Amino acid sequence: MLRFIVRRLLQLIPTLGGLSILLFVWLQRLPGGPEYALLPDDATAEQRAALRRSLGLDEPITVQYLAFLRRILQGDLGTSLNTGRSVTEEFFTRFPATFELGFTAMLIAVAAGVPLGYLAARRRGTVLDFAAVGGSLLGICTPVFFLAFILKVVFAERLGLFPSAFRLSPGMNRTDLTGFVVLDGLRTGEFDVVWDALLHLVLPGLALASIPLAVIVRMTRASVLEVLGEDYVRTANAKGLHRNTVRTRHVMRNAMLPVVTAVGLLTGSLFAGAVLTESVFAFPGIGSFVYAATQGRDYPVLTGFILLIATMYVLINLLVDISYSLLDPRVRAQ
Amino acid sequence: MPTTPSSQNRSGPESAPETPADAPDGHAPLLGRKAARIDRLAELMGHREEGDHGAGVWRTAFARMRRSPMAITGAVIVVVFLVVALFSPLIAPYSPTSQAWGAEVFPNRNVFVGPRAENWLGLDNLGRDQFSRMVIGARQTLLVGVVATLVGFGVGALLGGAAGAASVLGGRWGRQVDNLVMRVIDMMLALPTLLLAVTIAALVGSSLTTVMIAVGVAQVPIFARLLRGAMLSQGSRDYVLAARALGVRKHRIALVHILPNSLGPVIVQSTLTLATAIIDAAALSYLGLGNPDPAFPEWGTMLADAQRFLSSAPQLAVYPALAIIVTALGFTLLGEAMREALDPKLRK
Repeated sequence: MLRFIVRRLLQLIPTLGGLSILLFVWLQRLPGGPEYALLPDDATAEQRAALRRSLGLDEPITVQYLAFLRRILQGDLGTSLNTGRSVTEEFFTRFPATFELGFTAMLIAVAAGVPLGYLAARRRGTVLDFAAVGGSLLGICTPVFFLAFILKVVFAERLGLFPSAFRLSPGMNRTDLTGFVVLDGLRTGEFDVVWDALLHLVLPGLALASIPLAVIVRMTRASVLEVLGEDYVRTANAKGLHRNTVRTRHVMRNAMLPVVTAVGLLTGSLFAGAVLTESVFAFPGIGSFVYAATQGRDYPVLTGFILLIATMYVLINLLVDISYSLLDPRVRAQ
Repeated sequence: MPTTPSSQNRSGPESAPETPADAPDGHAPLLGRKAARIDRLAELMGHREEGDHGAGVWRTAFARMRRSPMAITGAVIVVVFLVVALFSPLIAPYSPTSQAWGAEVFPNRNVFVGPRAENWLGLDNLGRDQFSRMVIGARQTLLVGVVATLVGFGVGALLGGAAGAASVLGGRWGRQVDNLVMRVIDMMLALPTLLLAVTIAALVGSSLTTVMIAVGVAQVPIFARLLRGAMLSQGSRDYVLAARALGVRKHRIALVHILPNSLGPVIVQSTLTLATAIIDAAALSYLGLGNPDPAFPEWGTMLADAQRFLSSAPQLAVYPALAIIVTALGFTLLGEAMREALDPKLRK
């Protein structure tokens, strides 16, 4: 087990190293750039050159890359051109918000998607099955930002059931311990803050959950259908095991393996979805900051965030692989 | 156009799962699962039933699709979309940019004009004919979808094809080339596609070309993996061995023998990519990275612009949104039906 984890961790090095090269070269090579974003349009060529020099942009590309790599390894991803704060700091102050949002979305997607997919498979060909499959196809084809807008207009602006923006209502007093609003509230016993934060998570959480939900429903359905046809399920039924035992111990346990994988992979798309959802709901997380960075061509933020997000994505999938080998003895045996 | 949920639902029981359940494979690399899903699709074309002399895979697949309500629904939507897009200048009654009715619309006073005899879908916020804009927009949307897919297909197939051919025919050296190319592809696979597209679009500047390239590049790793997988599964076949024994040159084996037999899953993926491209392009437009030129209406931009008036004139957003959803659904249904018709495993 330990060897398995160590091997996977070592595999990270070339992936991330390559990723850093890819991002670096690509960002450097593209036209435009900070001297156009930072300086007024009528700036002279000398002013542009001076700025390039002060940012180290006139060095050879390899020197720039090595400097870039050294700084990354020291945890320094540069400074945001828009806010003047360090990219790592910007990322980690915003991370709790996006984590809470992404966690809510995943919770909704798994809590609704797995039972729905399971029922659709068990009742294959019924109205429920049609609705589940049709609905999930529709979910995949609906632009996330449009869904977010509809939810906002209907449930926040028209019906007033939920707040339409931010993580907390203005004027909420809370003790900040870690930046995770819900967790902090639970620890300090400020349950009004917890409730307020949860209300703020409902609509963006639902919008962000749409695509993972659709994928999980279809994955679960397909996977359960496949397992239901397996010989070991027939054997379990034939030897007279209780229906519920067969369903939980034989069908679900095996059918969940690909779904666990899908959850890991979907976290990647959550970050992308967060860019859209957070900007609709003015949710102060990583996504809305990436959006701002795209508008301002804040390229240290773009490189830094992409690298951090990709690292997280790879780490999450490492965790998925490990949990996989815990769930499935066949993987460990290899 | 069959857009009601009931007509989509009818296709329910035959719907292919988005991804077939993969057998657990402990040796998969870190991102092996995503990769394995793609590889699975790639393998499918390899499983040609031996002794199936009468009809080819494509012919039987086509016969199967003709009986599938999912395929028919998808095909109808796609054909209607293509006709509208290709003949849009003939269909659109007015110029999409003419603000002929500008005096009747006052967005800041919430005065909008809904559907009426001369403007079938009403007017937009600048007093332009919404129906004409939708029709002309179909063409732009098709253009974005097709070019983005071609970029993904072209670059991806080149990389994947080179890796596949090198691995099958290049010996030990070739396998190293394959390994190197695939590591790069896996890295690209580690980046969420929309985020990749956002970065490209943010760096190159906003235009329709940017959107097409950004969305297309994001699809490159998927196409590359697919084609390589399909070529590897073809590479061990007897006909390749026969060709080699006959002394056919390697590049000829790759191009004339292996490649045509490996294109199936890639073509299926193209259909699905068209849907993704249309949705991703809309997202980029919403983020302000799309086409800033109002002379060419495009559904994503129209939808993004209409969000401002969502509470006073929801129809302005609903038309392009529905058009995007229905078109994407059409391509998805068609692609899924094709995948299902080609995959014996999904046809229980």
